[in-house]
Amino acid sequence: MPGILTAISIKNGFPSMGSKEVLGMARRMADQTGERVAAALVGARVSSCQQELAAWGADVVYLSENERLAEFHPNIYLKVFQDIAAEARPHTLLFPAEPPVMDLAPRLAFRLAAGLVTDCLDFKIQDGKSVLIKPVYGGKALALLRVTTPVILATVRARTQEPFPRDASRVAELVVVDSPIQSIPQEMTVIDRIEEESEEIKLEEARIVVSGGRGLGGSEAFQRLRQLARILSGAVGASRTAVDAGWIPSSHQVGQTGKIVAPDVYFAIAISGASQHIAGMGGSKIIVAINRDPEAPIMRIANLGVIEDYRNVLPALIDEFSRILNKG
Amino acid sequence: MQIIVCIKQILDPEIPPRNFQIDRALKQVIPGDAAWVINPFDANALEVALQLKEHQKDCTVTALTMGGEMSGKALRQALAMGCDEAVWLKDSFFEGLDSWGTAKVIAQGIKKRGPVDLVLCGRQAGDWDMGQVGPLIAEELSLACVTVVFQAEVQDGRLSLKREIEQGVEVLETNLPALVTITSSSSNQPRYPTAKGIVLASRKKIQVWSAPDLGIAAKLARLVVIEDLTIPNYERQMQIIDGEDGPAKGARLAQALVAMKILK
Repeated sequence: MPGILTAISIKNGFPSMGSKEVLGMARRMADQTGERVAAALVGARVSSCQQELAAWGADVVYLSENERLAEFHPNIYLKVFQDIAAEARPHTLLFPAEPPVMDLAPRLAFRLAAGLVTDCLDFKIQDGKSVLIKPVYGGKALALLRVTTPVILATVRARTQEPFPRDASRVAELVVVDSPIQSIPQEMTVIDRIEEESEEIKLEEARIVVSGGRGLGGSEAFQRLRQLARILSGAVGASRTAVDAGWIPSSHQVGQTGKIVAPDVYFAIAISGASQHIAGMGGSKIIVAINRDPEAPIMRIANLGVIEDYRNVLPALIDEFSRILNKG
Repeated sequence: MQIIVCIKQILDPEIPPRNFQIDRALKQVIPGDAAWVINPFDANALEVALQLKEHQKDCTVTALTMGGEMSGKALRQALAMGCDEAVWLKDSFFEGLDSWGTAKVIAQGIKKRGPVDLVLCGRQAGDWDMGQVGPLIAEELSLACVTVVFQAEVQDGRLSLKREIEQGVEVLETNLPALVTITSSSSNQPRYPTAKGIVLASRKKIQVWSAPDLGIAAKLARLVVIEDLTIPNYERQMQIIDGEDGPAKGARLAQALVAMKILK
């Protein structure tokens, strides 16, 4: 029976956080319509993840395992996803909005002659079909979008969906899909990959984000922010002005043109709150603003505000957190 | 070498939320007096193309757009930056198209323009942030497609690219013809048009093609329709954490957050 198919991204041998969230969303959709949730598990040496996917909410796992899939080549992965879609015949296909799998969505939509909505925050069921909610105009507006084709494709923004509560006793049916991909030439050749050595928690997945802006005045201040982030097991973010000033690499940029985050707590330290920044963090559960300027736009969207030069606040904030959190 | 850069004119994404209004009945944004600009990622794509041109013999850079009256200005600006030619796909048939329809029309425009080696698009437009039109054009034209690239070079007929990956940079090569979507970086900040560039641009002719010119006889279907458009309210009731001095406020903030039981 056609149902919902989720694209799974495997990172370091496990389903990525975004994949679990998308499975959670699929589970909620399926529970309203009484359908099954399928997961597409594609890659080299990935079959060990099958049970994990069941535990996170999949009823069926479509497995395509091939050494040629060890490197991500979109055109080869596309062929595999096309074959899985032909086998599973889903009416809805959900992708986590994270690289590299999100790259497949538009091209797969084309090949399936299906409409796609990218970067969705949520869905609603209307007349038995899902409609998707997507932020547009840098988060200044929300659009409710309906896909008119028989198959609906969507990519889902990270941290907008709760994963299904893990249940290790769940069992999923396994369907092996053997795609004939040996003769497909690669579209591109990877020459080199320069990865930043990073032990830090990924910005998009962090439950706590500590961000700094123009008001910090220089790169040294980010040391303090890193200290605070470390105590709270969080990640460090930055506004575009801080990145443009060269105080911190662009991989830390939060905003419409940077990373989009929705942590449990977002610290906006010396950030005024330009609309393109708010587009990247407006969905945070709790926003804490520390700023000298009570009129800064960030104050309008903050839950907690401290009107003060951050230099006077941060040391005591860090000390107090260490004291309380180390005790408990 | 023939390079086509697809550009879109959008409402300035930097307009503050208080000046941002929508017409809920029409499900459209009210432009008001906000400026229209070239989508920032498309401007980065223009810059990448113009840098390629500086290192290539016999290289033509064509800016192409689909859109109404406002779009001519974007093409003039692209010409002033240094593009050689401009193509404007302009027809009431093209109004209100979704990503799929837009890609179909642009692909027809590219085909009509003639053989192309490289198509560049911004990674996404700063209005609807769909990020689909580039990859869809690649599918329409059966081109190799590489996304979120910030730097490009051509060597011996092969394209060498640097692209963003999750934790760093990937260097890769692909054959031409190809379609590449461009993201912003310090290496591709758009140049300002020079006075000479502006004068030269005003003398260049913009090629305008309508739906019949492209062999499009009927309105294209929408695969995605807008049911509703609303302005979300991010505003929250703020609690001010006060104290006699900065350190006191800092300590109270920590206590308030711990009391909310939201940490760990």
